[in-house]
Amino acid sequence: MIGYILRRLLSMIPVMTVVAITVFLMLHLAPGDPAAMMAGDNATSDTIDAIRRKLGLDEPLWKQFGIWVWHLLQGDLGQSLFWTQSVASLIGQRAEPTISLALTTITFAVIIAVTMGVAAAANAGSYIDRFVMGFAVLGFSLPVFVVGYLLIFLFAIELKWLPVQGYTPIAEGFVPWARNLVLPSVALGMAYVALIARITRASMLDVLAEDYVRTARAKGVAPIKELLKHALKNAAVPIATVIGIGVALLIGGVVITETVFNIPGIGRLVVDAIQRRDYPIIQGVIILFSAIYVLVNLAVDLSYTLFDPRIRY
Amino acid sequence: MTKITRRSVVKGGMAAAAALAAPLAAPSVVLGQAKPGAAKSVRAVMHGDVSAYDPIWTTANMSAYHGGMVYDTLFGVDDKSVPQPQMVSKYGLSDDKLTWTFELRDGLKWHDGTAVTSADIVPSLRRWAARDGAGQHLFERVKDLSAKDDKTFVMSLREPYGLVLDALAKTSTPVNFMMRKKEAETDPMQKIDQVVGSGPFKLNMDETKPGTQYVYDRNPDYVPRSEAPSGIAGGKVVKLDRVTFVTMSDPQTAVAALQAGEIDFYEVPLIDQLPQLEGDRNIKIQVLNQLGQVGWIRLNFLHPPFNHPKARQAMLHIVKQADHMKVTFSDPKYYKTCGSLFTCGSPMENDANSDWFKGGQNFAKAKQLFAEAGYKGEPILLMQATNIAYMSNSAQVLAQEMRQAGLNVQVAPMDWANVIQRRSNKAAPDQGGWNIFITSAGGPAVGNPIALAGHAATGERGWFGWPTDAKHEELRNKWAAAPDLDARKAVAREMQQNAWDFVPHLYFGQWVQPAAYRSNLRGLIPVPEIIPWWNVERV
Repeated sequence: MIGYILRRLLSMIPVMTVVAITVFLMLHLAPGDPAAMMAGDNATSDTIDAIRRKLGLDEPLWKQFGIWVWHLLQGDLGQSLFWTQSVASLIGQRAEPTISLALTTITFAVIIAVTMGVAAAANAGSYIDRFVMGFAVLGFSLPVFVVGYLLIFLFAIELKWLPVQGYTPIAEGFVPWARNLVLPSVALGMAYVALIARITRASMLDVLAEDYVRTARAKGVAPIKELLKHALKNAAVPIATVIGIGVALLIGGVVITETVFNIPGIGRLVVDAIQRRDYPIIQGVIILFSAIYVLVNLAVDLSYTLFDPRIRY
Repeated sequence: MTKITRRSVVKGGMAAAAALAAPLAAPSVVLGQAKPGAAKSVRAVMHGDVSAYDPIWTTANMSAYHGGMVYDTLFGVDDKSVPQPQMVSKYGLSDDKLTWTFELRDGLKWHDGTAVTSADIVPSLRRWAARDGAGQHLFERVKDLSAKDDKTFVMSLREPYGLVLDALAKTSTPVNFMMRKKEAETDPMQKIDQVVGSGPFKLNMDETKPGTQYVYDRNPDYVPRSEAPSGIAGGKVVKLDRVTFVTMSDPQTAVAALQAGEIDFYEVPLIDQLPQLEGDRNIKIQVLNQLGQVGWIRLNFLHPPFNHPKARQAMLHIVKQADHMKVTFSDPKYYKTCGSLFTCGSPMENDANSDWFKGGQNFAKAKQLFAEAGYKGEPILLMQATNIAYMSNSAQVLAQEMRQAGLNVQVAPMDWANVIQRRSNKAAPDQGGWNIFITSAGGPAVGNPIALAGHAATGERGWFGWPTDAKHEELRNKWAAAPDLDARKAVAREMQQNAWDFVPHLYFGQWVQPAAYRSNLRGLIPVPEIIPWWNVERV
């Protein structure tokens, strides 16, 4: 197992290298000029050129790449072009809202989706099943921002139960923290719920048709035990896989959700950076998200051993 | 091989969760600080983010808003656009009109507690003049600028210049904010990140989170002038303990937050959101900048067809401003059409040589002029900034108008960041250059031939589009030297007479942006291009 984990961690090196090269080239070869964005609309070409020189953006691309990679190897993600802060400290400032949003969304989505999927499978063909499948189609079809605006209108403007926007750090109290996260988590979690519920249902239906489940039922095992212990555990591998794959979906959704609900997280940091062409921030965040994605997939692979004793690394 | 069991994973997971939760649950520094009560603080969503703290280095308006909070100016324009002393107490001009003497008023202090002296003012003026169009124009005539003593400084001119006070008092960016000597001596091309001003608010760096919120606390040491506030002149009496600029990029969220009382002020609600706000008795809508924005269509003088004056004149007959305005601003109370080279409503507005405007859209005339310019259907590249609504909409209207005039227009959609990169490219349009782009500029700046870089016709040294016209430049200098307002108006007329012949650019309309705020806010002062937060209170 340890050897497997080390091999997988070592395999991150070429993956992250490819990510670094791709991100750097895509950003620097794409149109857009941070110096022009900084200088403002009334600035002349001479002024913009002078700012570009000050920022080192007039250096050859290979040199800029070399400097960035050299700093990256030392754990330095660089300095924002616009603010006098390191990319790491900006990410650090924005990490708590994003981690909170991601964790509450995953928790909410997994609990709701697995319950719905199991209920649908246990009652295949019934109204419950149709309702779950209908909900799944709706959840997957509605864009995050549409769900977000609808939730804001209903629960914040009309009913005034929850705040429209913003984020309260957990250090300022659990209740205000949670109140700010309810609507964004639901909006972001809808697609995730739909995805996991469908996979849970399909996987559960396969397992419920297995001989050992029928045997368990024939032996008089209680229906709830049959579903949760005998069926769900054996249906868990595809569910865990889709939760891992869904992290990419979540990362994309976080960017939009943070904008709609004005949550000062990493998603908004990167959107603002893209609009300004603040290259070091964009590069740093994409490297970070890529690393998280690779590590989550490793964790998912390792989790298979918990659900299926036959799997060994 | 170490065996990983479910039990070990659960234990490890709990330990990790506890480790993660520990710092989150710990009392934060923020909690320990005294925060002003809600009654004395305001949360405002402005039109963008303060992406740089140096309002001299960038012309971005948000940096000027930030500058207006933390810095002070030597002079400021009042509500009639007349320069009035602000940091200055006494000033005078010698009989030969060549020497200005200024004296700083008592009680001026930097936020670090040190006194503001002439030694700070001199490099501040020099740094501003290196970056500002009006400053450059002024300093071409400055023979010497020096500190006479701690409170007095002297500006000697080579020739009489009528715009000294106007330049020092203007609200268009970069505004002439005063900085400490230490920062003011920084290379004008180098951004300053140290925020130590002498203005009515201090930036609270501990609670400011770049890109998210900028917290300004009342400067208890600020000594306001005794006069009533007027424009950005007069007494800057701060009645709030804190103003927070909240960055919020989604207009729908901002309007919802305003209605829910989570923010107090929203600078740029979309015009089609206004009916929703007008029905809310807790919300007030007000136009704070009456001169608003002027929409510009910039033509590239370096390449055909717009290197020919007839082609540029033809464009005047193609653009129907009302159509451009309707598509974005819909309600005529927020826009107008204007045939003047200078902002309509500004003192320089006039109707010289504007028969093309009075005559309305005339495609036949445009076709004839393009033919005389030798146009034979070559592609005309129009850059369309798709992420800014008014630019995107106007580009589409313009493209359609040009097609109706028989022109082969090619719309190049891109984001604004891409436009501002490409517009600096002087190559031919098929080699990365361009023919037309759309932008806008503040009304006060467009009403002033000197303050705005885009008004110059200095060719490739000038602003994008690079118009060249020697007579125009002569007239700009003549305008600057004019002794009084009436004389300036007369020169502005001459300038417009000439300009609508060589056509440096054209306009697609003029609009104002209403702001929306909670009805319990009082005392917002209408000022072009800056939003002052002194005098504002919550009742």
